[in-house]
Amino acid sequence: MSENPEVRGCILPLDLHYSVVDHTWIRVHDDKTVTVGMTDVAQNLAGELLHAKPKKVGTVRKKGKPLATVESSKWVGPVKSPLSGEVIAVNDELAGDATLVNRSPYKAGWIVKMQPTDLDAELAGMFTGQEAVDKYRERIEAEDIKACEHVEGFEI
Amino acid sequence: MTDDDFEDKKILVIQTHGIETPRRTYSPLFYAMAAAAMEMDVTVWFTMDGTSQLKKGEAEKVQLDPTSDVTLKTMLEQTQEAEVKLRVCQQSLALFDMSLDDVIDGVEILGATSIIDLSLNADHVMYF
Repeated sequence: MSENPEVRGCILPLDLHYSVVDHTWIRVHDDKTVTVGMTDVAQNLAGELLHAKPKKVGTVRKKGKPLATVESSKWVGPVKSPLSGEVIAVNDELAGDATLVNRSPYKAGWIVKMQPTDLDAELAGMFTGQEAVDKYRERIEAEDIKACEHVEGFEI
Repeated sequence: MTDDDFEDKKILVIQTHGIETPRRTYSPLFYAMAAAAMEMDVTVWFTMDGTSQLKKGEAEKVQLDPTSDVTLKTMLEQTQEAEVKLRVCQQSLALFDMSLDDVIDGVEILGATSIIDLSLNADHVMYF
């Protein structure tokens, strides 16, 4: 099986945990901090981002509250936090080039890093691996979400 | 003022332009969504010609960019998904010979005194 399955062209790496409802992913690090970003599906729905503004370091968020605001020419909205915790780092590169999220949603386009306050319990509510792919496929097909298009230089 | 200070601020957007001026319809809704994304309490008040945006079957006909599938209906739906409150002026509805049944779902009808209350209670009012 590929390490990077696709659903309608949208890449969903198996090693991440996903909030399918909010189109976000997290990568859990050895020190129990996490990196948070928007999924390929999310960047595709939003279109080419013009601005991405994460909350400041030190901001404490409950699950579901905005971690950032992002806007394209056709949409503006929040990136909702998949976990409760404190923002411990933000991706400063986004201030100069929000399209990093479009080009590299799972690497250079990360949004924030967090210190979760209830990682184990909240992680149980997310999906990873093939289960995540299957759940995302259900949503994409149920809502007939358009196929992902990738800009030049797109990377996984 | 930090970002966090914006949270829970009340923004009132007053929209007086309707479907006959499509270019004046999208932006106020976009700003309302932006404020909602910043965790503000946002209300859009449709009055005068703005009322026509809310008539069933009309917003889907307004499409600024012919190459995009985004219509005014899309914008109104996204605004509601962002938990922006949509309100319409009862007196203006009468001008357009509209009733509650003619208005898209999720819109509350309020009278003129309510707009004064909303204005006085808002932290900022944006007029369009």
